[in-house]
Amino acid sequence: MDFGRTMKYQREAEPDWPHQLKQLPGCERLFSCIQCGKCSGTCPLSIYMDYTPRRIINLVREGFRNEALSSKTIWLCASCYACAVHCPQDIHITDVMYMLKREAIQHQMYPKRFPIPVLAREFYDLVRKRGRSSEFWLVLRLAMKSNPLILLGMVRTGFWLIRTGRLSLRSERIRGVHQLRRELATPKEAQ
Amino acid sequence: MARIGIYVCHCGHNIAGTIDVKGVANYAASLPGVAVARDYKYMCSDPGQDLIKNDIRDHQLDRIIVAACSPSLHEATFRNATAQGGLNAYYFQMVNVREHDAWVHSDKAAATEKAKDLVRAAVYRVKLHKPLERRRVPIRPEVLVVGGGIAGIHASLSLAAAGKQVYLVEREPTIGGHMAQFDKTFPTLDCAACILTPKMTAVRANPNITLWTLSEVVKVEGFVGSYQVTVRHKPRYIIDDLCVGCLECVEACVFKEPRFSDEFNVGLGKRKPVYMPFPQAVPQLVLIDPETCIEFKTGKCKKTCVEACAERNAIDFTQKERLETIEVGSIILSTGFEVFDPHRIPYYGYGVYPNVYTALEVERLVNAAGPTGGEVVLRDGRKPKRVGIVHCVGSRDEHTNRYCSRVCCMYSLKLAHLVKEHTDAEIFNCYIDMRTPGKTFEEFYNRVGEEGVNFVRGKVADVYPDGDGSLVMQVEDTLLGIVRKIPVDMVVLAVGLEAHRDADAVRRMFNITCASEGFFVERHPKLAPVNTFTDGIFLAGCCQGPKDIPDTVAQAGAAAMEAAALIDKGYVELEPMTASVNEEECSGCKTCIPMCPYSAISQKADVKKAFINEVLCKGCGTCVAACPSGSIKQNLFEDEEIFEEIEGVLAYA
Repeated sequence: MDFGRTMKYQREAEPDWPHQLKQLPGCERLFSCIQCGKCSGTCPLSIYMDYTPRRIINLVREGFRNEALSSKTIWLCASCYACAVHCPQDIHITDVMYMLKREAIQHQMYPKRFPIPVLAREFYDLVRKRGRSSEFWLVLRLAMKSNPLILLGMVRTGFWLIRTGRLSLRSERIRGVHQLRRELATPKEAQ
Repeated sequence: MARIGIYVCHCGHNIAGTIDVKGVANYAASLPGVAVARDYKYMCSDPGQDLIKNDIRDHQLDRIIVAACSPSLHEATFRNATAQGGLNAYYFQMVNVREHDAWVHSDKAAATEKAKDLVRAAVYRVKLHKPLERRRVPIRPEVLVVGGGIAGIHASLSLAAAGKQVYLVEREPTIGGHMAQFDKTFPTLDCAACILTPKMTAVRANPNITLWTLSEVVKVEGFVGSYQVTVRHKPRYIIDDLCVGCLECVEACVFKEPRFSDEFNVGLGKRKPVYMPFPQAVPQLVLIDPETCIEFKTGKCKKTCVEACAERNAIDFTQKERLETIEVGSIILSTGFEVFDPHRIPYYGYGVYPNVYTALEVERLVNAAGPTGGEVVLRDGRKPKRVGIVHCVGSRDEHTNRYCSRVCCMYSLKLAHLVKEHTDAEIFNCYIDMRTPGKTFEEFYNRVGEEGVNFVRGKVADVYPDGDGSLVMQVEDTLLGIVRKIPVDMVVLAVGLEAHRDADAVRRMFNITCASEGFFVERHPKLAPVNTFTDGIFLAGCCQGPKDIPDTVAQAGAAAMEAAALIDKGYVELEPMTASVNEEECSGCKTCIPMCPYSAISQKADVKKAFINEVLCKGCGTCVAACPSGSIKQNLFEDEEIFEEIEGVLAYA
């Protein structure tokens, strides 16, 4: 059996971090949380989360940045906005989740091979290179970079999808894709 | 040449923390006409006031300026000090450098400059002050109490015990209010009726109390000491003096079975068109509901009720609404609250799933005089095996009410105890924070916990039906950090307290203020909790904010004491800042008459000039600004004084 320390020393917290986060759009009311748990109660996915959304908010508030950013919760969030609609303190929890995801990607803190961040990255890459997303290639790249074995189970479905013309092997491309790339690069430069 | 004394208050750090008070005092000393300029730690303290009195004597001062807090706090204090020093109290001017300066600025240098400007303005204007005298008007000894819940009942009884005449006006057919609907009261579990009904009958029996039920205040005129109040008496269709409350008419009604929704049992029970709200109603009189009575709807009823009443002849279908005007010296408002309507939160399914109840409904179910005779049963007659109580319904939520309703935690614990006692059901109390901050409240919480009630810390997120007819509460158990789905037979919504829906109309009528959440605002949250900004109008009970019965009774007693103190003083002093008309210049155009919010202006018939009743005038200045010929002047706000004050502000050093 593996015993890990569960207690936290205050020196492991980053108390300034939530105050920086609070400046970002959607995170303004972070500190109004009353920990009622209604977000977790309404969340359709909280039953699979390692930390419920309420606990994520408290991890953030207390400055436990590593725990918050490396949690699976932020990647499981389906952006259904049920929590934000129901929150009695009007905290835009979904927006907070987005900010955490962005920061996790920036600092490479997301769980490796976890399909959701991989999908986000591959989708962006594909669109940047070709100007369009092609389902076949996107699924292939997603599977290869997260869990290649999953492809074995998809072979039959894929075969029939291709035969009935529902899935194309052709990768589409737009004209003047360099212009799109230039546009996508602009916000990065601005940062 | 005036000899002015100026005093700049530090107010601890409140002012001195932002403003260089010594600098302001030194600057003030350089202004023309200033004989003495000092700064002092707390001007409102006795030594601070003595400073003023001594300087008046030693330096022959004839005008006083204090630069300190808001005039609403200490103007009266310093006017008194000025008067005690031997000057007319209105030779004083207050400068607000706390609320208007220190508290709202952070730039110290700029705030100090602003303080100098404000002090200079006062120096310019105070020279023109004229001596004024306060007038005394007698106070009427009668008190009007509006609302006959426990607050109104207690206030009326206290005043009556002190020998004061009280009019108690209640809109419903009986007094008692919400408390009469409760079964037990927390935390002692006293039977609500057992402790309330003796007080209700005492109201009826007390010769000093005039009790008017089915009545509403429709108009209020006048001012402290002399209010003219118009009350509308709605018809009961029963002659009060003849009815003995025998209920034979109810027996005899052509409706053999009660079939109309019963207001007292919040719709869970049924009543007939002629009914008594509940057995201990005060007054013990029946009433007829014209909405449901066949005689009113068709005019073709057999009128078996009239037959049953026989020679007493107490039923009168021809009664009409009537208005009555009374004169009172002061008014206590105890108009109470309304329970939150949970239809506004659709995901709890109130009104959709039959077994979702409000706490008030369960209160009636538990009560032995209630619609089920004290049996806690579901709408289909089954006994619930598992009951969920949802806290904070309509409280602590940006979408409904932000505030905590203060009583729900405790009444939920009480209901948990009572329902468990009646049904032995398993109880789940789902709460956000358990708030038990009263005397022996925490002990009650412990007791209910020891009785085996389950506590789940989390706000219920959803209530939905299970396949087998029960309901499921979905809630995160925040102490466990997991989401739970709890199947229950009955869901009790611990609904919050809201301001009455016509609180806004009431506050307009009585010329007081409401806060954003709709409750009436007290004059000071700590030091004048039952007073309002309108003299002679006091608050008691939940119309001022959610509170429990002990606090309501305490507040009602305090309001009664304030009213009694006013009466025993015998007079009220009116501020002399009234307006008056210069008849030689008045053209009689009548512009000012409709402008006056206090109906203080009339036209003198003989000379056709405006005339202002000084007793009614509150000194708002509206007529002064409106008068096209400038022939109205207001004491202490004369044109020259205001222009000099403006000059003073604008004369940069």
